Amino acid sequence: MTALDRKLLRDLWRMRGQVFAIALVLAAATATFVLSMGVHRSLTETRDAYYARNAFADVFAEMTRAPRGVVQRAAAIPGVRRAEGSIRQYATLDFPDRVEPVRALINSVNEHGRTHLNRLTLRQGRLPEAGHAGEAVVDEAFAKANGLGIGDGVDALIYGRKQPLRIVGIGLAPDYIYAIAPGDLIPDDRRFGIFWMGEKALEAATDRTEAINALSVTLERGARQADVIRKLDALLAPYGGSGAYGRADHLSHAFLDNELMQLDALTQVIPPIFLLVAIFLVYIVLGRMIRTERTQIGLIKAFGYSGWAIGWHYMKFALAIAVLATVLGAVAGVWMGRGMTRLYTEYYHFPFLYYHISPGVFAGAAALSVGAAALGALGGMQEAVRLNPAVAMTPPPPPVYRGGWGERLGRKAGFSAIGHMIVRHIARWPGRSAITVTGVALSMGLLFATMQFVDASRTMIDSWFLRSQRQDLTITFIEPRNEAVLHALAQMPGVLRVEPTRAVAAKISHGNRTERGAIESAPEGAVLTARIDGDGQEIDLPPAGLMLSRQLADKLGVKTGERVTVEMLGGRRTRAFLPVVRIIDEFIGKRAYAADATLQALARDGAPAGAALLRIDPAARDRILAKLKTMPVVLGVTERDAALRKFEQMIDENIFTMLGFYVSFASAIAVGVVYNSARILFSERAHELATLRVLGYHRTEVGMVLLGELALLVVLAVPVGCVAGYWLAQMMTAMFGSDLFRLPFAPSRASYGYSILIVLAAATATALIVGRRVLQLDMVRVLKARE
Amino acid sequence: MTERPAGQESGQSRGLAFRGEELRKIYRTGETEVHALRGVDLAIPAGEMLVLLGPSGSGKSTLLNIIGGLDRATSGRLFYGDTDLTALDDKALTRFRRAEVGFIFQFYNLIPSLTAEENVRLVTNIADNPMDPAEALALVGLAERRDHYPAQLSGGEQQRVAVARAVAKQPGVLLCDEPTGALDSKTGIRVLETLARANRELGATVVIITHNVGIAAMADRVFHFLDGRIARTEVNEHPIAPSEISW
Ligand SMILES: Nc1ncnc2c1ncn2[C@@H]1O[C@H](COP(=O)(O)OP(=O)(O)OP(=O)(O)O)[C@@H](O)[C@H]1O
Ligand SMILES: [Mg+2]
Repeated sequence: MTALDRKLLRDLWRMRGQVFAIALVLAAATATFVLSMGVHRSLTETRDAYYARNAFADVFAEMTRAPRGVVQRAAAIPGVRRAEGSIRQYATLDFPDRVEPVRALINSVNEHGRTHLNRLTLRQGRLPEAGHAGEAVVDEAFAKANGLGIGDGVDALIYGRKQPLRIVGIGLAPDYIYAIAPGDLIPDDRRFGIFWMGEKALEAATDRTEAINALSVTLERGARQADVIRKLDALLAPYGGSGAYGRADHLSHAFLDNELMQLDALTQVIPPIFLLVAIFLVYIVLGRMIRTERTQIGLIKAFGYSGWAIGWHYMKFALAIAVLATVLGAVAGVWMGRGMTRLYTEYYHFPFLYYHISPGVFAGAAALSVGAAALGALGGMQEAVRLNPAVAMTPPPPPVYRGGWGERLGRKAGFSAIGHMIVRHIARWPGRSAITVTGVALSMGLLFATMQFVDASRTMIDSWFLRSQRQDLTITFIEPRNEAVLHALAQMPGVLRVEPTRAVAAKISHGNRTERGAIESAPEGAVLTARIDGDGQEIDLPPAGLMLSRQLADKLGVKTGERVTVEMLGGRRTRAFLPVVRIIDEFIGKRAYAADATLQALARDGAPAGAALLRIDPAARDRILAKLKTMPVVLGVTERDAALRKFEQMIDENIFTMLGFYVSFASAIAVGVVYNSARILFSERAHELATLRVLGYHRTEVGMVLLGELALLVVLAVPVGCVAGYWLAQMMTAMFGSDLFRLPFAPSRASYGYSILIVLAAATATALIVGRRVLQLDMVRVLKARE
Repeated sequence: MTERPAGQESGQSRGLAFRGEELRKIYRTGETEVHALRGVDLAIPAGEMLVLLGPSGSGKSTLLNIIGGLDRATSGRLFYGDTDLTALDDKALTRFRRAEVGFIFQFYNLIPSLTAEENVRLVTNIADNPMDPAEALALVGLAERRDHYPAQLSGGEQQRVAVARAVAKQPGVLLCDEPTGALDSKTGIRVLETLARANRELGATVVIITHNVGIAAMADRVFHFLDGRIARTEVNEHPIAPSEISW
């Protein structure tokens, strides 16, 4: 080992605190990188393998009812590789000992194993056999949540008829990785499950002999999806087709995709912040190191070492930090990635999970931290290379203090001598002071940006679950119903109010962009639904024309006042050219609204109720739910509070786990920055602090010089951090938005408060640790050495 | 009242500033022990000018640091007037320095970020009965340079600021460790003159460590150090003025 390498090792050991503090910040970068890249890749690979193995379709279509023969004609469309028809039917399940509504989505599966698309993976048991009408395979998550096993029976209300089902298999399928009931955001495995029944049995149960209501299609390589969709729509129009769509609009796929997109956003936003801070830290620490080792550098050069040998020596110091950080970050990233993947599998169901991190991810993480460390070391390295040995061996010129802004400020404020020392030192090292302020501010900003996700969720709850939906129950019908059913519901004891809603599937186009969705409406005077704008304002339905949610308007590229083409997919399939009279900043989904009259004019079918909203007396809940179970016209019942509870549970489990990660990461920045600043300050000022002690200042008073400067910088960082956090949070909120939902940006004062408090606590604790050195300061020894 | 050791009164009517008995200082570094002080008995009369002479490593700085309350003796007793310095805790020792002691070192130890006057204020801010900082600077002939930073002053001027800083609190004792070590004779004499003036006008007891034997001529008393002990005490009946010192 060369003498320089021995010096390197000693330096690393001597400065282990600072080395570790920088490594911590850098490790936070690599950890988040490994975490999000690892989870992203694992989920993507798992999904792709699952899709390939189980032949997840490319294009999907639903219709009211079509003869099986339509499958052949779909298969003949150019670009279609394979087409397959099936029946998908919502049903209600009756667990005798439970009052709450339980819903099922029953899919047909060929009894002879001739289902080729969206294939089931059986975990246990077998497929339903031909001739055994009641046999069903049940979704694994639902079975687990409800304690169902092979051989268990459950009563289903399918298409108005009661049918006992016997579970012969437990499985899962690629089109239900994320299985949510219509209108829900989060799976509720206890209240909603996927079932599979034999084709013939389901045909019989739904009066669809030799008929289907769903079509799945895979595409030839290179086929244009839009063309196929157009042709499928034309083919299925006579059968009440509600518009074919690709994977991007497939609910399960879209939610998973949304999750992956958010992980991507995390990878793009979080690691760069840590990297930036780490670059700064390496820069200031090496800068200080080279300043104190000036004479040594001169001496070594005088011995005949080249400038590059010495530059490389300091570069190696930085690289050693990077290596440490990569290891720490990789371990933490893998560990957290495992935890996060496990969290995902609670909501996203796969038959297998590849959690493995490719060497490429580690290489990327290593490249990031090495790159950042090297970049930070560049300045110091250059200085070391350039240093002229003759100049280096003369003592450095004393730091020059002259008047300046700090000077004028201090005089005006009537500072004590100690106050002057603090302010002038800050002004003497403006770059480093700025780095301390920036680092602490970024730490706070990151904290704030993560904390405000809780605010966003709360706002979402308030706006979506409490203010938009004021009903207790939503009841869907087997077929659109008219006044009579509503009247019957209103007569039930305990029902306080009944309101119909209507949603008609439609294609909305603007220019060459087309979006599939539903136009929703509520009768005049309805109070159980409301549309809440981004600022919390309640918005009335437009008297004429359409109101679009921001997401839909953005997708279509349409502005208020422009017209869109509306093609109704339900009812009589009319076409209209309607103005967009308002765009509303909603959080959930791509939505379109119209007044009841507008919608009736479009649909031209008397516009019966698609669903009924009920407000009920809580005391009568159980009785009402029991009664609803017996009504054959009822297709499904949803309780708003159950969805709300699920959402809250998701926040508790996920957001708080994530928050835990990021709070510790963000604090790592504050700790790293404050620790290094404090150590540098201390080493620069040890001589002055000892002098003050000699002059008769007490330890605590001397400590104030050190801590006072840090405190001032940290306090300066607070407003900067608030601004940075606001900006960062806004950016992340925008990045996290998708077709499915957008996050509100509604940070609370508490989030500012908490992030300030956490940063202050981290900074104070760190500063005090370094401050303890003031207590151990050996006056005699320090004064013996000439600064 | 403690009794004064016999033979050490030497006609001083104002009593003793310091009295030390059997002071020892042992530095332990790993296996090796360095005996910096090997049982020093001393009596420094108040208001005197004392010079410590002796070869390098003989323990002069060690003793000065101990009597100034910067360091502690390993054993032995040390009194300042009636105060037992060896019994004081760190806080009380700091208070003692704050109230009574002015230090001057070879390398001035000024705070580079403070002007001459502010360096003096550093002391007057916390002293009980300080001079006006301007007055202290005038005492060392630097009234005009009050707003200059140390980097803008010559070494001798910096040392004079250090002297002004040390005398500004009107200390009972001025402890100087090679105050002229880094200065040429002319500036050295100016610094010594300010020390003599502080001794004369403020009545401060002044202790000066020096390698310059000539300086001993201005002292009332000289301790000759050898190997951690005071080998010899010399009383000077007729101290000369600093300007007469042969450098
Ligand atoms: N911190 C320490 N650790 C170990 N030994 C020390 C320490 N400080 C001083 N010594 C030793 O104590 C002895 C006395 O040191 P001191 O500094 O008092 O000498 P000095 O008389 O002031 O010398 P000089 O004239 O060179 O300044 C020396 O041998 C020195 O090596
Ligand atoms: Mg000495």
